[in-house]
Amino acid sequence: MATEARAVRLGSAVRRGVGQSVLLTLPMVVWSLLMFFHPGAATDRNSVIAAGVTMAFMVALFFLMMRTGNTYRWRRVFFVALGLLFPVGFIYQAIHFRGSMGIPMEEMIAGRTPFCFMPIPMLILPAALTRTVVFPGSIVGVGGMSGAGIAAMVGLWLALTLVLGRGWCSYACFFGGIEEGMASAPKKATIRKIDPRWRLGPWAVLLAMVLLSLALFEPAYCEWLCPFKAVSEYLAARNTVGLLQNALFVVLFAGLVVVLPLLTKKRTQCSCFCPFGAFQSIFNKTSVFDVRIDKERCKPCVACQTACPTMSLSKESIARGETLLSCTKCGACVDACPRGAMNWHVKGTEAAANPERARLLFLYAAWALAVMFGGSILAQGIRTILHFVL
Amino acid sequence: MKLRARLGYVAAGATVLVALLTPFLLYGMFAKGVVALGLHVDEIYSGGPKVRTIQMSGYSIDVHGVVTPHMLQRETAFVQMDWRPVTALPAHVSDLVDVDGDGKPDVRVSFDVPRDPKAPLRVNVEALNPRYEGMRNEGKERYSKLIVRVDDAVLVRVPVVGR
Repeated sequence: MATEARAVRLGSAVRRGVGQSVLLTLPMVVWSLLMFFHPGAATDRNSVIAAGVTMAFMVALFFLMMRTGNTYRWRRVFFVALGLLFPVGFIYQAIHFRGSMGIPMEEMIAGRTPFCFMPIPMLILPAALTRTVVFPGSIVGVGGMSGAGIAAMVGLWLALTLVLGRGWCSYACFFGGIEEGMASAPKKATIRKIDPRWRLGPWAVLLAMVLLSLALFEPAYCEWLCPFKAVSEYLAARNTVGLLQNALFVVLFAGLVVVLPLLTKKRTQCSCFCPFGAFQSIFNKTSVFDVRIDKERCKPCVACQTACPTMSLSKESIARGETLLSCTKCGACVDACPRGAMNWHVKGTEAAANPERARLLFLYAAWALAVMFGGSILAQGIRTILHFVL
Repeated sequence: MKLRARLGYVAAGATVLVALLTPFLLYGMFAKGVVALGLHVDEIYSGGPKVRTIQMSGYSIDVHGVVTPHMLQRETAFVQMDWRPVTALPAHVSDLVDVDGDGKPDVRVSFDVPRDPKAPLRVNVEALNPRYEGMRNEGKERYSKLIVRVDDAVLVRVPVVGR
């Protein structure tokens, strides 16, 4: 009876008073000020307004996480905004620098193809064997759309991966938000039963793309399969093959990022296709944070499994008291559990040892990086909108 | 508290520290580490190192080293030549180029230089040395066989036979 009462009490998230929530949010206010208004930050009107709005947005969401005890609900707001605003800022930049979303051959030869994190796993083997980067960018930035260059993106990815593991896919990926927004739109899933073997999809795509990139010495995933080319940039089609590549991008985007998430309420691209996600899963082994299940409290109602947007829980894993390797630490299962059996967890501690402490430690680290990386992308998107509105 | 749990919390604290140090220290440090690896972008894209410059009247031709494809790469070996600056080029270029530096011309490269920088380019290459492949009215279909304008230069890539 006592255990039952405790479980019900813990089943609802840890709600805090306004004062305590403000105190817990203060470090994030200081951090956000440092990130958005540091010396050297742009001082034009649009940039200052965009930085202020983004800072208020990120701080407000963190405050709500502290106040309500819910993680997923508020993180999702940030993540969907990131997914929607990234294309706004990026496409504007592409049109500003080269007049089109298409990457012409000239820009590739000049090393000005912007480098995102997606091809990182495909570049490792060619680089290790021949010291060659099989991507038409530049190691350090050379102006135009090259940004800060390949080395900067890889450096950033390394640092964020140390902290987040596959949490990258819920706090840093600037593509996943579109899909998460789609998955959240319907009240109920039309397709409820998904064959668990689809979870192997990302690993199969990863293996195929790694081998193909090594054999052909080209970023095969970027050239043929990236669904997000449809909302960022595409290969300026020079021939029938180019047209086919661009058609594939659009079909994959429409299917995996729009239609299937609407039908299944799952992030289908992330959980069944994305090779970077599979690669990032490996780093969940090195991350100190994870989500565990208190088996004493768990009455397998599978509410967590239903809520998980990346299919990272199975009946077997629930029985073992853990999530699958693909867990993105989004917090959906923790928030959904009616008995408080799903817990944020620090490895090495007991499954139910002070989950709120584990949650706070993880959120300070993850949100700090979300403010730094995602925040700058949000600010760029808002600045672009202001450019047209004001 | 057990030792494992203590170590867990120490690692969690260290992770928070890593997050806080990322924008100020770690991001730059890791990026410099990647640069220090001495990696280079595949020469199929970058065109290979410049080996010689030929001075013409008012402009120059940079000749690059031969770029050979890796493994199953879908390109052939090629050599790149850059005509620069574009502003100094005549309306029609027709140059004999000694590609391998043996004192004899290897190819005759001919192309028009339209005033509009976005206008498509076409090139004809007459091979005077059987080591190089001729090209007729070529645009930019392949990395190993093209003419493009990049910034202040016109780049021509001529396929090398038997590499």
